[in-house]
Amino acid sequence: MTDYFIPRSAELSLCFSEPLFLQDVNDRWSLQHPQLYCPGQKNQYFNKKAFASCVMHSCYSSLILFFIPWAAMRDTVRDDGKDIANYQSFALLTQTCLLIVVFTQLCLDTYYWSAVNHFFVWGSIAAYFAITFTMYSNGMFYIFTSTFPFVGTARNSLNQPNVWLTIFLSSLLCILPVVAFRFILIQLRPTINDKVRYKMRKEVLPAPAPRRLLRRRSTRSGYAFSHSQGYGELITSQNFLMKRPLKRASLFPQTDSPIFQNQPQHYLDHQQIKKLTDSMNGGLSLLLKRRVAILVT
Amino acid sequence: MMASSYSAKDEDGHITVSGPGGAALRNKKPENTAFKQQRLPAWQPILTAGTVLPAFFIIGLIFIPIGIGLYVTSNNIKEFEIDYTGDDVSSPCYNCAENFSWNSTKFCTCTIPFQLDQPYESNVFMYYGLSNFYQNHRRYVKSRDDSQLNGNMESLKYPSKECEPYAHSDNKPIAPCGAIANSMFNDTLELVYNDPNGTNVSISLVSTGIAWWTDKHVKFRNPGGSNANLSAVFQGTAKPVNWRRPVYELDADPENNGFINEDFIVWMRTAALPTFRKLYRIIQKKNNMAPTLPRGNYTLKVVYSILKATDLNSVIWMGKSAVSRIRFKFFQVR
Repeated sequence: MTDYFIPRSAELSLCFSEPLFLQDVNDRWSLQHPQLYCPGQKNQYFNKKAFASCVMHSCYSSLILFFIPWAAMRDTVRDDGKDIANYQSFALLTQTCLLIVVFTQLCLDTYYWSAVNHFFVWGSIAAYFAITFTMYSNGMFYIFTSTFPFVGTARNSLNQPNVWLTIFLSSLLCILPVVAFRFILIQLRPTINDKVRYKMRKEVLPAPAPRRLLRRRSTRSGYAFSHSQGYGELITSQNFLMKRPLKRASLFPQTDSPIFQNQPQHYLDHQQIKKLTDSMNGGLSLLLKRRVAILVT
Repeated sequence: MMASSYSAKDEDGHITVSGPGGAALRNKKPENTAFKQQRLPAWQPILTAGTVLPAFFIIGLIFIPIGIGLYVTSNNIKEFEIDYTGDDVSSPCYNCAENFSWNSTKFCTCTIPFQLDQPYESNVFMYYGLSNFYQNHRRYVKSRDDSQLNGNMESLKYPSKECEPYAHSDNKPIAPCGAIANSMFNDTLELVYNDPNGTNVSISLVSTGIAWWTDKHVKFRNPGGSNANLSAVFQGTAKPVNWRRPVYELDADPENNGFINEDFIVWMRTAALPTFRKLYRIIQKKNNMAPTLPRGNYTLKVVYSILKATDLNSVIWMGKSAVSRIRFKFFQVR
């Protein structure tokens, strides 16, 4: 087949775009769980055993991707009696099965589905079908006769339901063992990645209480407030500092560990910091102000 | 107001740090946007028991009825097969198979009686099938000229190199060239119904509507246009070596003559596997309630021709390429 490179290019565009937008465990969790770096150090995911299992999986997929279309085409005709078991239709069927299996496998391996991922995956599938139908169209045949001899193949074979059933069946047969295997491994032998992801999910699911500063609607500024009678002692006694973080504007919304207080954080931008420091302007002691200044630098 | 060590961020998010000479050094940190910090809102599929197990069960529940439906449907399709290879001494076509030789110009005919136990309703499709005929061999598949078959006058006179050694004969270009065309199946099959009251009714077989529409109207065109005089257009070309008649005498019907002959088109659509079948004729259903093929005795008359598989040895040095079986099939769809 001279046109095998077109579906390969659709695949390649997908393969190159996927890693660009892969997300992983974020920086906070990575620092909190340094064991996440161990598998890399120990070459757990890229060694001979991993390669051998990859080879086995490839062999299995190749056998499925040939023999399922073979069995489907062996003694078949279209529903109007005409030919479908010809060389070109068989090639198109096998090629489409392969592409769908590859796309599904990539979807399985994509752990973070952002808008960009969606665009590339669905776009690649659409591009494959668009290019296939274009290559097998009348126009291309008239212009480049000997290069595009598959004219009419896509139209005549992809309108048969048994072709789509074959595609669906072969992709299921290739993907379901992978899904089952991964699921069982996550349940019985979870890796550090799986455990951290599980914890991340558990943390995200109960929605955290919004930790925003509720600006008290007061016409008096904080400065004046602090100079009212009776508050001087409160301000200078540093009890202010002992208040629970929930009631105070927090520069570090996700304080789980004391490590982070010394690290530069980029979770709040300039405007938000300005607002916070303004609100603290009047009522804070000099000590607190200085502390804020150091941490924001 | 603020401590002097605080440095304001620029509009574009880069933090500028004042250097020793007062010049601003641009920090190389990427912007703090969701896109660049890989914090795009994303959906994470997780394989939990709550998703995987129901998914498996649902897939099973979907496919079991599909399987049952397919099994029941395929059991309802009526199919009848006759093997007329003639490899057995008791077979009617044994003489034809044994005695036929390359240079023989006479036709060899054999008749095979058979019986249908069930009537066949609706349209009945007749197929011929071959075993061990490797139409999917690479050199064989390439041995054609699609430009010539599309009616290109230039390619008619100068066939492509892919057709070699079936491109020229007697110093004339072969039309259609190539090994695929040369090995065209040209057995003639006729069906006769032996009425119980003694008369023999010849069953009408429709020879159009057997090829793909795109093949007949796009891929294969006669040179010289639609209403050309084909014998004049093909002047100066030779017929393929193994053909009895030239290409412009394939059928009396001008819509089915020349390159757009549907038997030729069906043959040129090379099969994927060595055991294949190709549509030969259609028996149209009758308008009244009578079955298309009632049950009873029938006779199949075969005008035998040798299958041109053995000459593939000159193109490819394959081992066993002799066609071992010729089948003939009825097939009723729906």
